[in-house]
Amino acid sequence: MRELVELAGARAALDPERVIRALAETFERWRAAESPERTRLAREHGVYSRPVVERGVRLALAGWTGESLAALRARELSDPCWVPPVTAVWLAGSIPTAAFSALALPLLAGSAVYAKPASADPVSARLFAASLSETDPGVGAALRIGSDSKALDDADAVVAHGSDATIALLRARVGPSRPFIGYGHKLSLAVIGPAIDPLVAARRLALDVALWDGRGCLSPAWALAIDSPRGRAAEFARALASALEELEDELPRGALEPGEASDLVELRARAAVREGTRLEMAAGASTWTVALEAGDVRPPAGLFRFLSVVPVPDLESLATFCAPLAPHLSCLGHAGLAGERGRLATLAAAAGASRLCPLGRMQIPPLEWNHDGLPPLRALVRWLDVEGQE
Amino acid sequence: MTRAEIEREVRAWIAEGVDAPADDARFERLALALFRLQVECGAAYRRWCAALGRDPATVKSWREIPAVPTGAFKEARLAIFPPSATIRTFRTSGSTTELRGALELDDLSLYDASLEATFGAFICPERRRLRFLVLAPSADQAPDSSLSYMFSRAAAVMGTPDSEFLVDAHGWDPERAIAVLRGARQAVVLAGTAFAFVHLLDRLAERGESLALPAGTRVMETGGFKGRARELSREQLHGGIAERLGVPRARIVNQYGMCELASQFYEPSLRTGVASDVKFVPPWVRTRVVDPVTQADVPVGAGGVLAHFDLANVGSVLAVLTSDQGECAAGGFRVFGRLRGAEARGCSLAADALLGGP
Repeated sequence: MRELVELAGARAALDPERVIRALAETFERWRAAESPERTRLAREHGVYSRPVVERGVRLALAGWTGESLAALRARELSDPCWVPPVTAVWLAGSIPTAAFSALALPLLAGSAVYAKPASADPVSARLFAASLSETDPGVGAALRIGSDSKALDDADAVVAHGSDATIALLRARVGPSRPFIGYGHKLSLAVIGPAIDPLVAARRLALDVALWDGRGCLSPAWALAIDSPRGRAAEFARALASALEELEDELPRGALEPGEASDLVELRARAAVREGTRLEMAAGASTWTVALEAGDVRPPAGLFRFLSVVPVPDLESLATFCAPLAPHLSCLGHAGLAGERGRLATLAAAAGASRLCPLGRMQIPPLEWNHDGLPPLRALVRWLDVEGQE
Repeated sequence: MTRAEIEREVRAWIAEGVDAPADDARFERLALALFRLQVECGAAYRRWCAALGRDPATVKSWREIPAVPTGAFKEARLAIFPPSATIRTFRTSGSTTELRGALELDDLSLYDASLEATFGAFICPERRRLRFLVLAPSADQAPDSSLSYMFSRAAAVMGTPDSEFLVDAHGWDPERAIAVLRGARQAVVLAGTAFAFVHLLDRLAERGESLALPAGTRVMETGGFKGRARELSREQLHGGIAERLGVPRARIVNQYGMCELASQFYEPSLRTGVASDVKFVPPWVRTRVVDPVTQADVPVGAGGVLAHFDLANVGSVLAVLTSDQGECAAGGFRVFGRLRGAEARGCSLAADALLGGP
């Protein structure tokens, strides 16, 4: 495949310092106060409202600096290793910053990238590639956006995002002889303990729900509220409804496709008909929904700013709730559990989560996050352990 | 109106047949009475109406009656009678890990009346008994399948004693089905699921064989594919049936129905002699085509989501919102297929199936 040959040639520009500088400057352009790149993405993206794109990108990129890039590379790639000359990256979903990190990490490792944008978001990857080329044409030449599936056969390594079925298909296609990393669909949840003002926790969670409209694998699909003293979960649910209503002006939800709207109506109806569930919804609109469950149940996962608040008696209930989610759990956001962070971490790790963070930061994963438990750079390369002396 | 009074009036309307006038005032009166009854007696439906801020005091037209999405049938019991009174439960199809929707019935008489009126009119309009050959299990083999119940009931009422179900609980033998069909000497009603027909056509194609079913034979196919076979469009399926089974296109009828509804919808091809893809709406049913976002009626000619209002659904909810896309057409509606779901534009996981539900 001619483009991959060109990419392999462009890889010569991927000197670590130069790549770090180029990526850092590109991220800086995107998070600048009046970033034309961000504004254009917000205008063209189509899935999210402009304010959500503006704020979501700015918040997520806040920590993606030259220092963090250099630290990440130093931490993960200090030993000798084989870096695939060209990595094919198959993107999925619609979250721009997920696409940015998926493109940036192989470059940071020293691999050129051939990337196929997600069908739901054909814009983010192209705009990012264009801004990288403007920052440093040499580094930019090592990133090509296309849609030729032959890259899956010809690239030296493949990183794929998508449904479990898609990942299985791609894994089979790539075969065992080349590195393959698959990121399947995931979901996340929030846990709210007693040691926080419900209003404060609700505002933080509302931001996690509103950013990317509950579509992301880091979006909370449920909120588990420790109901102690009794009635606290209900108080939290009311506060969350208010917080989502307040956020609607500031971060309006994007338009839904017909199938998505149908799914949301179904989610609402299923919650409404469940005995004991209390539903609060945006007046005359579908923009947000909070369902307070009657007990320790697991309702359908929330989407599109629909969130079920599940009262639980204690932190240990988290293990029961998460048991069936284990292969699919990504992030656990928490508030009001400051004194129990160690126990929470043990429970989260056992439940299969790969990230534990304070509420309000669920949509702001650091660049060095071990996405699905995989180290961000080390997973992309092949290691050679050199043992002993002759 | 009491339930008995409503049922009496609906039964009388169904008895007038599918050609009875689609009397809007009559429908309005009965629909509003039934809505009131279902809100009063159905706790789950009452909660859905309350969430939408609607009740019998504020709803003034059948079009304002809140429709229940089919997914809600997975979540709660929507019947208006006590569980002890249930005599039959129909469940939606699905794998063992999926939650399945359920419609409970405490009385099958209205269900049967609607079924017989429409099946008779659109599949057996000559009013004489015919041999049924069914590519689906019987109701005995699949007691929770509304489709099997429908076939069994229709065969019992309109079929000859030598009618056969060619599928059982263990599956089916296409070779035997082909042998039975090849041996047919008189017109038959060949009925079954779309995916069973696909298997049958595939087997005939593998053998390079085509049958010529006796003149007067009619075919009724129904149901989706849901990954059970390679998927064919209606045109491809009907074309294949015409080619491999020797049944003219105008004698091939698609039926659209769902477990959650007592009434079904048929293409009028056999009655009119002209192949049609419009599903006929019986007088005791109304179908709205609504915008999935606003739930408002779409303009004439525009596509939307189908919502059915079935007066024969006395024991549960009369208003059912589907995920099927369609459009209004003279005398009924067309179906385009299922809406593409929520998995399309996000990376989070929404599938209940994976988690096995609550």
